Amino acid sequence: MAASAWAWLRRNALRIYAALAVLYLLVPIAVIAVFSFAETPRDRLDFSLSGGFTLEYWQHAFSNQELTDALFTSLRLALLATIASTAIGTLMALALVRYDFFGRRGANLLIILPMATPEIVMGASLLSLFIFYSAPLGFTTLLIAHIMFSISFVVVVVRSRLIGFDRSLEEAARDLGATPVQTFRYVTFPLLAPAILAAALLAFALSIDDFVISNFNSGTTVTFPLYVFGVALRGIPVQVNVLATMLFVVTTIAIVLVIWQQRRAEHMAAVQPNDVGEPFAGTPAFPPAPGAAGG
Amino acid sequence: MRNSSEQSHVRGWPGPLVAVAILVAALTLAACGDNGGSGGGSEAPVAKGGKPTGEVTISNWPGYIDPGANGTVAEFEKAYGLDVKYIEDINDNLQFFGKLQPLLASGNSGGRSLFVVTDWLAKQMFDLGYLERLNHADLKTVFNNISPQLRNDPADPGRQFSIPWQGGLTGIWVITSSEGNQIHSMRDLFDPKYKGKVDLLTEMRDTVPLVMQMQGADPKNFTKADWEKAIDFLKKETDNGQIRRYTGNEYTEDLTSGNIVAALGWSGDASLIGRKDVEWRSPTEGCDTFFDQMVIPVGAPNTAAAYAFMNFAYRPEVQADIADFVNYVTPVAGVKPILEKKDPAVANNPLVFPPPSLLAPCSADPNPPGSAEDQQAITEKFQDLITG
Amino acid sequence: MTIRRRFIPYWLLAPGALWLLLFFVIPMGFMAEQALESGSLFTGGFTFSWEWSNFPDSLSGNSEQIVRSFYYAGAATLLALLISYPLAYAIAQQSGRWRLLLLFAVIAPFFTTYLIRTIAWKTILYDSGPVVGVFQTLHLIPQDGRLLATSTAVIAGLTYNFLPFMILPIYASIERLDLRLIEAAKDLYASSTQAFLRVTLPMTAPGIVAGVLLTFIPAFGDYVNATILGGTHQAMIGNKIQSLFLVERNYPEAAALSFLMMALILVMVVVYIRVAGTEAFMGEEEEAKT
Repeated sequence: MAASAWAWLRRNALRIYAALAVLYLLVPIAVIAVFSFAETPRDRLDFSLSGGFTLEYWQHAFSNQELTDALFTSLRLALLATIASTAIGTLMALALVRYDFFGRRGANLLIILPMATPEIVMGASLLSLFIFYSAPLGFTTLLIAHIMFSISFVVVVVRSRLIGFDRSLEEAARDLGATPVQTFRYVTFPLLAPAILAAALLAFALSIDDFVISNFNSGTTVTFPLYVFGVALRGIPVQVNVLATMLFVVTTIAIVLVIWQQRRAEHMAAVQPNDVGEPFAGTPAFPPAPGAAGG
Repeated sequence: MRNSSEQSHVRGWPGPLVAVAILVAALTLAACGDNGGSGGGSEAPVAKGGKPTGEVTISNWPGYIDPGANGTVAEFEKAYGLDVKYIEDINDNLQFFGKLQPLLASGNSGGRSLFVVTDWLAKQMFDLGYLERLNHADLKTVFNNISPQLRNDPADPGRQFSIPWQGGLTGIWVITSSEGNQIHSMRDLFDPKYKGKVDLLTEMRDTVPLVMQMQGADPKNFTKADWEKAIDFLKKETDNGQIRRYTGNEYTEDLTSGNIVAALGWSGDASLIGRKDVEWRSPTEGCDTFFDQMVIPVGAPNTAAAYAFMNFAYRPEVQADIADFVNYVTPVAGVKPILEKKDPAVANNPLVFPPPSLLAPCSADPNPPGSAEDQQAITEKFQDLITG
Repeated sequence: MTIRRRFIPYWLLAPGALWLLLFFVIPMGFMAEQALESGSLFTGGFTFSWEWSNFPDSLSGNSEQIVRSFYYAGAATLLALLISYPLAYAIAQQSGRWRLLLLFAVIAPFFTTYLIRTIAWKTILYDSGPVVGVFQTLHLIPQDGRLLATSTAVIAGLTYNFLPFMILPIYASIERLDLRLIEAAKDLYASSTQAFLRVTLPMTAPGIVAGVLLTFIPAFGDYVNATILGGTHQAMIGNKIQSLFLVERNYPEAAALSFLMMALILVMVVVYIRVAGTEAFMGEEEEAKT
């Protein structure tokens, strides 16, 4: 009956919409993956698939030396920047949320400012700084820049988790005789871990993605986005798509593993952050939604 | 509740003030540094020669050298036992210069020993003191083999700072299987029936002179009024949507995808366009030639290796490999006979070995006339145009 | 004991604050200095001369791009909001595996680089491609029209690229919604629409605020989308600044324009937060005790 069909539609409207939206989100990725199998005469992406399909670029994925170097440079850079900025940012978040001190407002402002600054402004001004101190441009200057712009995001992510944190657990630990360090190590940190991980993932993504700031401060070092931008003007080698797809698949697997691990850990732990059965609880990736939770 | 929020408000306010204070301090600190250009031209140091060893970094345009394990760079490394970092990070003269300028102004080469820029930029950089002078005694192979007409250069008399890498012509690429096939002149490009299907170049010294020639100006003597008239014309055509985009190398992508039917472009780019039905044409009103130059920046490390690279590239057999891949005009004499045996198609390609008839109506890409301020004014006017 | 405790926050804060000070604040100082310089590269270099006129000059010379950036970023933010809110709601309604899958699909585009994503859109939207063909058939664009090199493409690119920034904060705040409040509203005879407008929407406002800010601000300063997907009339303020820095090498004007841009953004952020009324955005009331 038409009525029941209509009713079904209304009930599932939101789900259908979500499916469509997700499809939209994944279209470019699908395009990238599909074109990584495209056969082209000049080994660079053409706009049609008329040449047929081939596995040759997957077999020789790393044959383009410059591209491979650029990718590994980016990965190294992202890894180091992530570790540093996550550590620094977590410490800052702890300070900002748990202590009230002179200059707290200023520190908050300091964190927010880089997020409000256009990348091009940060990139150009950093360049002026490096030139002034005659610092040689290269991997180190890139690393400094990447850590700089990631810190703010890490702070915001970790802070949002800290705000909803249930302190009674830590109090309980202290009541049982744990020192502050032990409390942190055995209670606080494990509960904070998902947020720290989310922050690290974010920092990693930001670093791999970064083009504008790197463009100004890289010297002769070529990162993956810089390489892509260079070749995009003259024809992108198909290996770029291959490597991008690889990167995507690898990070997918990594995230899946991480989430699976987290669920196992939560099942084993006696405590759950908020509601039961909410694996993403405690990892809102972005600024807090205070006031809405827990009354 | 009220108490604590008041408290935190009072406690917190110095924060932003502190930030401002630091900003002011940084300002005064920075005021001590200067940005001025250093003494140019003849005071530039001479690049040192010697035995090339170790590492060397070279920047070039993409697709401007034969790549791969048997390519020129690999052969160069083997021949001299060097470790070469060859980066193709030059896509636009001004953008590359803009990235390097702050470094070069303080005598820092950014790690590069050699890079390739178009002749007019080489001259500008030399005048600003950003390049080292070349010692001809270290460039014997170069000067033995260089084409006679390139031995001297009006922009670089006596070849003090630049050695030609490859050259070419700027003209019109058309897709022959489309309506663009009817385009033979600059005037044709601006025919309304091609609205939105035409690309021009962001290189001011390629696009504007061609328009000036179309408007009847004398290529040997472009005046400031000529430049302004041409840019005004372009502004009109851009505003009414005739031009789809101003591009650097990416016009090749628009041609490949068929987004346009014609573009201003460089004669050697055939291998970068992913379709066979394209043809390069010299506009009937006159064309434009350019030569890209190898230069050594101030503070360059390992200049001995830079000299070695220049000499190496001027060996006719090596040049033949480069010309075979790149398909631009080679500066080295004696390459044609080698290619006639190896790859006759390239040897007979008029775009690689242009006959005088092709070159006659062409003029070298000029700088806008007048003082440095005048040039800057024209550059800004054109930039305003292409950044919409 | 109390003395040591008092210094703990400073120790925790030190590395980050120092880093940001050195590599963010001080470079801004340098840029401030550049904004007050005059002169030009080819005529003897730049000199510091308290050239305040750089600010109004750069504003008037680039007003078209500033307005255009507002328009593009605003349109992209609005579109992103409209697309994201229902999606975030749908995700929050799911449980377990589906929710994870959906969240992952939202974040996934992040892991191919920004440039490659944007370039992929170039492939999707090229003139003789299927998408353009569909649009032409539906008469959304003229028969010989195009999508690339138009404002539409740039806005579409901006929307797509910043969608995760909008979805995640909204999702976070929807997820924390106490459903009992909605039940209570319904018990008090509110219709679904009223419950949504009067309960859900206000309670998820912080997420919306965060999402809007996180989308608008980078979109406003972006130039990659305009470069790759745009044509001759799509240049945004970011393109202009890039051109001034790297091509014209007019550092004073570039620096002045940059500061103006930052000032504009900060003003908008402050006004927006005031209007949206989320003093708690900074999370300061919470955890103010040791």
